[in-house]
Amino acid sequence: MDCKNEVVELMHEYLDGDITKEDETKLGKHLEGCKACQQHFHELKNTITLIKSTVETKEVPPKFTENVMKNLPTEKKRVKYMR
Amino acid sequence: MDYMIRDKIKKVKKGDQSAYEDIVVLFQSRIYHHCYRMLGNAHEAEDIAQEAFIRAYVNIHSYDDKRKFSTWLYRIATNLTIDRIRKRKPDYFLDAEIKGTEGLNMYSQLATKDRLPEEEVQGMELQHHIYQEIANLSPIYRSIITLRYLEEFSLKEISEIMDLPLGTVKTRIHRGREALRKKLRHV
Repeated sequence: MDCKNEVVELMHEYLDGDITKEDETKLGKHLEGCKACQQHFHELKNTITLIKSTVETKEVPPKFTENVMKNLPTEKKRVKYMR
Repeated sequence: MDYMIRDKIKKVKKGDQSAYEDIVVLFQSRIYHHCYRMLGNAHEAEDIAQEAFIRAYVNIHSYDDKRKFSTWLYRIATNLTIDRIRKRKPDYFLDAEIKGTEGLNMYSQLATKDRLPEEEVQGMELQHHIYQEIANLSPIYRSIITLRYLEEFSLKEISEIMDLPLGTVKTRIHRGREALRKKLRHV
């Protein structure tokens, strides 16, 4: 298999939970014998862990809802029936 | 939950402004965090999150209630953050990095109490570094990575939020992951 494209593509399919059973076996077999791809796969999984580690929670600013409600356009006045 | 939202939206569409207050309370935290992750700045995040709720209210009649309200709301917020990033002056990132206080404030909240001070600093620096690399991606890639890994949306939901075909979302998430892998491999 072509490590550069085909295998990397399979890695991404795997990471998206999108891979067929057949391709998963193919990927597994290739990884067993290819150090470079093992490294690549490891780096990808590590990257995801690092991205997820930046998740943080912050307090919503005080009066957030109040401020939204204050800034909503006023309800349109009903057009009066003109005689 | 979904039923309750649908019911509130119906009321809002009929002109009941107070029903909208419950919607804002329900979604404020998620939308604010999304804006904050996209913009990396608390003041801008508040500004844009406010704007998103106001726009959603003004355009409530264009919301099709067969679709998920949260997806529609996220789409408005995401588009606003992307516009804001694109309008930033080119020197914005440089400024942000020199000051760096936003990032430090933001990540210092992450530190757990039982960590040693040195570990805390390393943790903060690492978090800040990773965040910077995500922030260096173009806004579309940044939204997709944020929605996927920090807000845990499915690829299909992301395609609805971003209004992009599923195939395009997949290609971009692959490229985004590869770009970040290259930047973060030695971390």
